[in-house]
Order: sequence, then C-alpha cells, then structure tokens
Amino acid sequence: MDFELSEDQATIRRAVAELAAKFDDQYWMEKDAAHEFPTEFYKAFADGGWLGITTPEQYGGHGFGITEAALLLEEVSASGAGMNGASSMHLSIFGMHPVIVHGSEELKRQNLPRIADGDLHVCFGVTEPGAGLDTTRITTFARRDGSDYVVNGRKVWISKAMESEKVLLLTRTTRFEDVQKKTDGLTLFLTDLDRDHVDIRPITKMGRNAVSSNELFIDDLRVPEAHRVGEEGQGFRYILDGLNPERMLVAAEALGLGRAALRRAVRYGNERQVFGRPIGMNQGLQFPLADSLARLDAAELTLRKATWLYDNGKPCGREANTAKYLCADAGFDAADRALQTHGGMGYSEEYHVARYFREARLLKIAPLSQEMVLNYLGSHVLGLPRSY
Amino acid sequence: MRWQLSEEQDAYRQSFGAWLADVAPSEVVRRWLDDGDAAAFAERLVRDGWAGVGVPEALGGQGGGLVELALTAELLAGASAPSATWLATALAVPALGPGTAVAAFEGEHAALLSPADAIPGEGPRLTIDGEGRLQGTVPRVLAGDLAAQFVAVVDGPGGSPQLHLVPASTGVRAQARRLLDRSRSAADVVIEGATSGPLDVDARQFLAGCTARAAVLVAADSLGAMARMLDMAVEYSKQRHQFGVPIGAFQAVKHAAATILVEVEAARSAVYFAAASVDGGGPQSALHAAAVKAQVTAAGARVADSALTLHGAIGYTWEHDLQLFFKRAKLDEYLYGRPAGWNERIADGLDLAPS
Repeated sequence: MDFELSEDQATIRRAVAELAAKFDDQYWMEKDAAHEFPTEFYKAFADGGWLGITTPEQYGGHGFGITEAALLLEEVSASGAGMNGASSMHLSIFGMHPVIVHGSEELKRQNLPRIADGDLHVCFGVTEPGAGLDTTRITTFARRDGSDYVVNGRKVWISKAMESEKVLLLTRTTRFEDVQKKTDGLTLFLTDLDRDHVDIRPITKMGRNAVSSNELFIDDLRVPEAHRVGEEGQGFRYILDGLNPERMLVAAEALGLGRAALRRAVRYGNERQVFGRPIGMNQGLQFPLADSLARLDAAELTLRKATWLYDNGKPCGREANTAKYLCADAGFDAADRALQTHGGMGYSEEYHVARYFREARLLKIAPLSQEMVLNYLGSHVLGLPRSY
Repeated sequence: MRWQLSEEQDAYRQSFGAWLADVAPSEVVRRWLDDGDAAAFAERLVRDGWAGVGVPEALGGQGGGLVELALTAELLAGASAPSATWLATALAVPALGPGTAVAAFEGEHAALLSPADAIPGEGPRLTIDGEGRLQGTVPRVLAGDLAAQFVAVVDGPGGSPQLHLVPASTGVRAQARRLLDRSRSAADVVIEGATSGPLDVDARQFLAGCTARAAVLVAADSLGAMARMLDMAVEYSKQRHQFGVPIGAFQAVKHAAATILVEVEAARSAVYFAAASVDGGGPQSALHAAAVKAQVTAAGARVADSALTLHGAIGYTWEHDLQLFFKRAKLDEYLYGRPAGWNERIADGLDLAPS
C-alpha cells in the first residue's frame, strides 16, 4: 500500500494551490455578494490549461484521471474559493465524461477543445421539478422532427446555466408509460442553450451566489441529430457512468471547504484573546476543531481510495458514496465549528466562515442528499431491501 | 402556569429522602444486592408505612397520586434501592379491589403478568377454561419471583382482554432471571392450571392507565439515577487531580457535567408534568407519558455513559458505587419498552402519513 502522491499529483496540487491563492477571500466575498461569475478566476485556470485536466490529449486536454481532478477541485475549494470557485469549473473538469465515452467524433472535436481552453461554458441539465432524484421520471421530451428533435419541458437546479453556452441535456424520447424498462427511452444531447427557446431564471438561494442555479423553461428547442450523445434511448446509461466520479469530485470540494474553514478557525483561535488568553486554549473550542481535523483526515483517505479505484478501473460505488457522505459531513461540521469559534464575528461576512458555512451546507444536499447515499449503501452494499 | 410541588409533596420528598438515607445507605444496599436479598428493603418500606403513599384512600392507601409515586420512584433510584416489588405493586394496584389492594401494599406484593421489556399489555395473554383455571407462560415479569399475587391478562370472549387475579401458589411457577441491574428482579412465570378469580375492572382502561403510569414511573426512576450520577461526577471531578489541577477545571469535563445537568433538569420538568397530566386524565396524557419514557430513559442511558467517562477507570470498578446507578439507568431505558417503541406510539398519535 502506498499513500504517497505521485510526482505529477504533488505538482498539480502545489501549482493549483499557488494559482488559487492569487484570488483571496476578499475577491470571493465580493463575487458572492454581487452574484457575479468569477470570470478572472475562471480565466486564470483556463489559461493555465487546468480545465482540460481529464480531457483526452487529442481533444486538447491532459488526459489525467479522477484522482488528479479531485486534487484540483479540492485545492481550489481549500484556497477559500469554496464552491464558488469549484462550481465555476466543475462541469468543465469532468462533466463531459458521457460525451468523451459515448459521443461522436464530430461532437467531441467541436466541443471538447473549446471546453478545455475555457472558451465554452457548459451546464448539466438533468434534474426536474417533478422528478428530483428519481431521474427516470423526467418528462422533458425530445420529439423527432425530420432529422432534428424538438424539445419541450422544464429543468431545475441547473448550475451555471445563466453563464453557459451549451447544456448536456437529458430528455425522454419515449414516455415513461411506454417503455418496458424505466431506464430506457432517455436520450442525451449536448446542444446550444438557445435563449429564444430556453427561458433561464436564476433561483434566489442561500449561498454559492457567484455561480447561478437556475430553472429552465424549454419551449420548442430545436436540436439537430448531430448533437445527440450516443444512441437514442440510452441516455440514462451514459449519465450513470458519470455518477461515481461526480460524487468523488463533490466530496473533494467538501473536503477542501472543510480545510479552509478549519484553517480560519485555528487562526482565529490563536489570535483572539478573551479573559487574557487565546480562546483556542479553551477545550470547548479546541476539541471540536481537533475532532474536525481527525474527521477530515479520515474522509480524505476514503476519497483517495475511491478515486484510486476508479482510475484503476475497479468498482467504486461503495467508496464513492462513502467518500461523498463522510466528506460532506466532515466539511460541514468543520465549517459549523469554525463559525462557532468565531462567535459573533463568525456571523459577519468579514471573517468568511459564514460564506463557507452556507456553501458547506449545500454539499449535504447536492448532488444527492446524505440520505440517498445511505439508501445506496443500505440496499446496494449491505443487501437490505430497497426502502424507496 | 405555576409549577411546583405542593407543601405536602415537598414534605414527603424530604422525609422519605431522609428515611432512605438512614435505612438504605450505600453499604447496606450493597449488602442486600450481594446477598440477592430484595425482601429486606421491601419489608422495611411496608413496615415503616411508605408503601401506601400515592395509593388512593378508597383503596386503603394514604392518598396522593402519580406525582407522589414519581417522587418515590426518583428517590428509590437515587438510593439504588431494590424496588421491583414496589413498582410492580404500584402498577397493579388499580386493578385490585380495596381489600386486595391493602394486602398488596402491606406486603402481599402484586404484579401485572406482562414482560418487563415490553410496553405493559403487549405481552402474551393467558388462556382460561370454564372453571377459571389459567394456562400460559409470561416471560420476564418484573418482581415475578417476589410477588404474592398476579394480575393476569386473559383472552376473553371475542378477543377482548379480561383481568384475573392469580395467587402465587399451586399451579404457578416462577423462574428467576438474573439482571445486570441487581436492584430489580424479573422472573418467567409459568402458569399451569392455577385457579383465578375475575377482577371487576375494565381491562382495556386499566391497561391504558397502567401503560401511562409505567412510562412515568420508569422515567422518574431514570431521573433519580441520573441526578445521583451527576452528583457523583461533579464530586469526583473536584476531588481528582491531574496535571496539577482538579479535572473539573478542564472544559471537556465541566461541559460534560453541565450537559448532564441540562438532561436532569429537562427530565425533572417533563416527568412531573407528565405525572400530573396522567393523573388529570387529559386527552394528551398518554402522549406525555410516552414522551417522558422515550426521552428521559434515553437521556438516562446517555448520562450513564458520560458519567462513566468522567470517572475514568475508577467508575469501571466494582468497588465504586457508580456501577449501581449506571446499571439502573441502562435497565430503565429498556424497562417496559425501549424508546423506539414509545416513539412509535407517539408517531401513531400524530397526524403523519403511515409508513
């Protein structure tokens, strides 16, 4: 067993941390407050060639694995950029996986190099108001019309749709009622978010405000056949491939956020004096932070194992889900404790932990709730009856 | 709302507490427990006239109600006194007629034939033949080894329960069970053709009342054990020194003790409210009782763990008295049903979608 990062991985980690450090907490506080996309930050990472970290080399990327992608997003998040920073590039880093594996050569040539160099912003259009995590229940429908499709429907919680030129869009091409297997009849497209046919409305929300979350109203959106990913009716299977990596990357972001929060808490615990001594001297404050360190470290190990398994072509559902669960919990607890350590100051924006706290809370919900992770572990790993 | 004990109740608490301190100090209690002698204390309790407190005067008791019984339960637990017969009798007495009731709290202890680890009335029912002879086995009956008479739940016509009184004589066999908490006892009661007489009470109404009373009294017991463990932990944390200071100076220790205090005070408020509510017979009283059984006994089990941690290794020894209260609180969590079962009752009483 080897716990050492490879030379490449160590270099990636260091270089990402250095680049992300150029954007300080003040930058993120302002972007978050203004609900403004972190264009400068995104550009710095695009220019550095980081967005194509997992994109195959023939499409302008570096062809690294999920381990390297996780290290990248963890360091971005840990820099204090948090979910604002991570979400600005998350989809570019690994979201195109279904296209890379199942897309046509033309679709890949047209899009992947532009995503890798940062020119093309994409979002992920899966979830719907009537379906939630019950993905096969989506109703957005792509009707055949000659060689095109015409799409109608609604999507919700589509991150970065406001800023995106294209969407990886999951639709039904056969209605739920008309398929034998409920996972059949779903079709995936990578297509333009034509504003004349897609009304994008940002959702007012608790945090991560530099990157929008949106509702999409799709009205007769015409999609050429060439924008279809893989075969018609197989979209669910293509999406499924990407779920484990998605969980690992979100785990990495949660972990990084926990590290950022803990760093701030420790600094404040050492600096702030009450009753003539640093408040970090109080066990009531020191122990929760020490506990968070232990939990973050343990969660990190699970995450590293999960990404290692994936990159080595081994089954990793159990580990990917466990990593998401533990990292989200440890990250949120660290943020909560950091806020508590700061006392009243934690509640002000000035000390940044309030922003971390709001963002960390998201990761217990997205991309799937902790409870759904337990559902997975309970039924798929432990073999208990499916409860939902 | 004014919430405090009446002068009489306060006086009772003081005098019963003083009596317990005199009659059942730790070294005496330990001797009883080591000898497996639960009768000595039960006899003393009867002889000195405490057993009738909380029993209505109509049944020959000294009056008072569930609040008085809860005070008794709390204090008994705080002394780790052997109290299975007292609790079993307190729960069974409302089913008995005046004469039998008097005998019950004068030493002819009575017990409901229902498993001590289930919500009262949820256990197996006995079968009865045409001449009133009973048949059946009820496992783990509280004070089953010490009771002189049993209130049996019998399968009546149309599946409705009926209550019968069975003397612990011919045709009744009790096999004692060993409990980790030696201050209570239980036995499997095997009934083979014992004669019985019907009790003139509505069985369903009695069982519903018995359930609520059991919940409150076990919660009160847990409260007593908790409060005692808090006292012990605080005392120890002032006395024990490490790194040149009493361990109570460490926040991790004092915060843990403060958390126990919060549990104790929350438990006290809830238990006495529930006791008064059950006595008042309000529409929500069954839920109040279920809530304290679920919440307080679960808290008691947590507090036991925390108090043990605060004592370090000394608390793990046989010589230290903490073990008495630790085990008491742990049994209270399970006695007459686990918190999950009581929470289920609460859930059933709420307007929720069925699972």
